[in-house]
Amino acid sequence: MTNELTTWLDTLLAELDGIEVRRTSRRRLRVEVASDALPALLELLRGRASFVHLSAISCVDWIDAGQFELVYHCWSYEIQSLVSVHTRIPREPGVYISVYDIYTPAAFFERDIHEMFGVWFEGSPDLSRFILTEWDGPPPMRKDFDSEAWVNQHFGWQDYHPDWLKDLEARGGGIAVPPNEQRFSRRTVDET
Amino acid sequence: MTHIDQVPTPGAPLPVEIGVKAGAARTNPFARVFDELVRFAQSRSLFMLHYCTGCGAVELPPAMTSRFDMERLGIQPMVSPRQADILLITGYVSVKTLKRVILTYEQMNSPKYVIGICSCTVNGGMYWQSYATAKKLNDYMPVDIYIAGCMPRPEAVIEGLRGLIENIRTGRADAWKDYYRRYDYYLGNQQRLFGADWQTSTDVIAEARHYDLFGPATLGAHTALLEQHQRPLEALEMRIEIPELMRRRSRSDQDGTAQ
Repeated sequence: MTNELTTWLDTLLAELDGIEVRRTSRRRLRVEVASDALPALLELLRGRASFVHLSAISCVDWIDAGQFELVYHCWSYEIQSLVSVHTRIPREPGVYISVYDIYTPAAFFERDIHEMFGVWFEGSPDLSRFILTEWDGPPPMRKDFDSEAWVNQHFGWQDYHPDWLKDLEARGGGIAVPPNEQRFSRRTVDET
Repeated sequence: MTHIDQVPTPGAPLPVEIGVKAGAARTNPFARVFDELVRFAQSRSLFMLHYCTGCGAVELPPAMTSRFDMERLGIQPMVSPRQADILLITGYVSVKTLKRVILTYEQMNSPKYVIGICSCTVNGGMYWQSYATAKKLNDYMPVDIYIAGCMPRPEAVIEGLRGLIENIRTGRADAWKDYYRRYDYYLGNQQRLFGADWQTSTDVIAEARHYDLFGPATLGAHTALLEQHQRPLEALEMRIEIPELMRRRSRSDQDGTAQ
């Protein structure tokens, strides 16, 4: 039964135009699809092929290509296999269509991706702040967000350089940190 | 967290005088004796509220239970901040958690002590370049003792607690007074993360006056900012909404009026 369903799914997906299917293992299928065909494919997977469980939507920022890659992970309890549907959308303006009407849990995943990557999902029920309730900076998971610069602007550091460590260092011991890796106040002290 | 532009920089921590103020010295010759006795008793009966934010929390069960047995030092876990003496922060504090930690800290009765466990409370630890975690805990509340390590073993936790006990016994563990004396500095750092309209449900300035710890650094630019945005503190309305109870009560009211 399971094998039959798997074969049937492979045949079905092979028949479709415009998608690229690769079976990465016995229970995992990687599908690449154009962004305008993705809702139709998900509808087919959910409605006709028992993939009723949307485990997650993940997002990858391909900054050099100017694209966001969205990955929809769909699980079937009957075939016991996972289909990862990959699609790419342009990074600007970063707008895509919601799949909330196909998979209800997509609302949470889309809200999360909107918060972390700034992708706007048309038709998603609620795209307000989710986890980062205090945040109103740029979306922090984008590749062009400089986390380290942000941290240096918003937080201070404290140095721990007690006398016993200085004694050790004077005798040639201690913990050697290369100058380019020193990030605390000691670096500024050394420079001045 | 871009509120940072709206809030002036708190500046470097001001030096404050540590120890008993001359004006507050008692005239009773036995006061010193009693103080020592009180401090000894305080140091040997500590209730600890452990705010388990990060991975350091897993070192606490062995420190509390029979292997290392915190209770032989007189330290017991406590469930509510109102009855706790020690606030133990075990690990990274995200900005969202920090709000809750500050609310918890302000609810505790003085004298209160803060222990930061793990490298994350010292300098952010392995989350040093994370946008979401606060780095120095002592920017936002005074910390009595840091126990560094990633994570510190129960022996180190016990050693840190013994250090705190010794500091309390000798009267050196008075970091909590710093929160009142330099409230403006701590409030400024909090406002830089949470925005200018950040307000807790505790009137810290009034408490500072109550403890006779009101000083020149208690008020400043940031407390002025707080006053601009402050909503008056109101007591929570007590309300019971149990349908059956309400129905019964209204019925008895009707009976009462009928009679």
